[in-house]
Amino acid sequence: MPQASDSRSNHMVLGPDKKLGFVRDTSIQPFAPKEETIEIPLPAGINEVDIEISLRYQPRPGNFYPLHDLKKRISLD
Amino acid sequence: MNSNLKLNRIFSLDITACISIMVGIALVLFSPSSAIGSNQGQKHVDSLDELIKMFDSSSCKECHEKIYEQWEKSHHARSLMGLNDQIFLSGYLKHGPLAVHPGQKATKKNFPCFKCHFPQIKHASDSVAAEIADAIMRGDKAKIRKLNIGCLVCHNEKAVVHGLPEAGVLYGNKEVADHSGRPVKKSPLLKNSLICGQCHGLGPNLEFETPIQCATLYGSYLHAYIPSGGTQTCQECHMKDGDHYMPPNFNNREELSERMRQALPMEVRTLAYSFQPKEGDIRPMVVVNTKITNKAGHRIPDG
Repeated sequence: MPQASDSRSNHMVLGPDKKLGFVRDTSIQPFAPKEETIEIPLPAGINEVDIEISLRYQPRPGNFYPLHDLKKRISLD
Repeated sequence: MNSNLKLNRIFSLDITACISIMVGIALVLFSPSSAIGSNQGQKHVDSLDELIKMFDSSSCKECHEKIYEQWEKSHHARSLMGLNDQIFLSGYLKHGPLAVHPGQKATKKNFPCFKCHFPQIKHASDSVAAEIADAIMRGDKAKIRKLNIGCLVCHNEKAVVHGLPEAGVLYGNKEVADHSGRPVKKSPLLKNSLICGQCHGLGPNLEFETPIQCATLYGSYLHAYIPSGGTQTCQECHMKDGDHYMPPNFNNREELSERMRQALPMEVRTLAYSFQPKEGDIRPMVVVNTKITNKAGHRIPDG
């Protein structure tokens, strides 16, 4: 999401009555896909894992709209 | 042996930006027994009821019932009500830079948000702003629900930017000279993203004594979508077939999830293998790659 300060410090503020200028933007822009790679080391001896990936839209803590949920079993064999 | 891993991709957004939804305008024809053009030569009013009456577009429903009912379900019909029917301004009037302090009367300076959430205020005096503040503070939802982005806001107030809109005139996609005594003039803006961009934002609103920053969506449309080759207008996505419901609707959770699901497709690729950083040191490893693409014409989230 776009993160704003009040332009009087570099502290992020919340609320349109306080925001005045972005300091960072982690939102997703058109024509600019967000790609991430996560590497997960597993304990020795494990040969199968279940992964669960969810994408949520969260306007406020605890209030989220589910977008994508994916479950997948992966075998190292 | 099994192991369970859970990866959550969560992005968040300031709620006040959520409430402003990217919308557009299509042709509407009015039957305006009470629909009054609202700009050039328009008087200032000193009471909230007068202002509500001045912009009352309920008579439009007589001939444009379907469009009116679509609009009634939209966020435009409740521009001062936040998610789940809450008066979103009540918090700002109690705390923070826009607060009304004990013993003081609110003025229009307390409401820079009205630039977009209730632009009709420019035709009213400070006493009307004080009335609205009183209604907000006492939680008078019935009154606050009457303050909205009605037909006349988009089909008169915001329909012309080269000069001022004419009083007594409605603007649409085509001329309708004989329109219950009130002519409809053509405004090319009604099909242009700019009409939406007037409110769905470019950045900080520095013209106010207390500057604010709400929606910045139109800035993203201009500076990210268009330069990358985007060709669609706001209306083409948010007002298909002239639909005045103008989704998304943040109060309809399933509908919003589905809309965002389509706007933000996610690809996932996985790899499992044994990593060997040094001879004989074998470590099982999982690699998960995610790619989220934004098919909308603007950044997400924004408003």
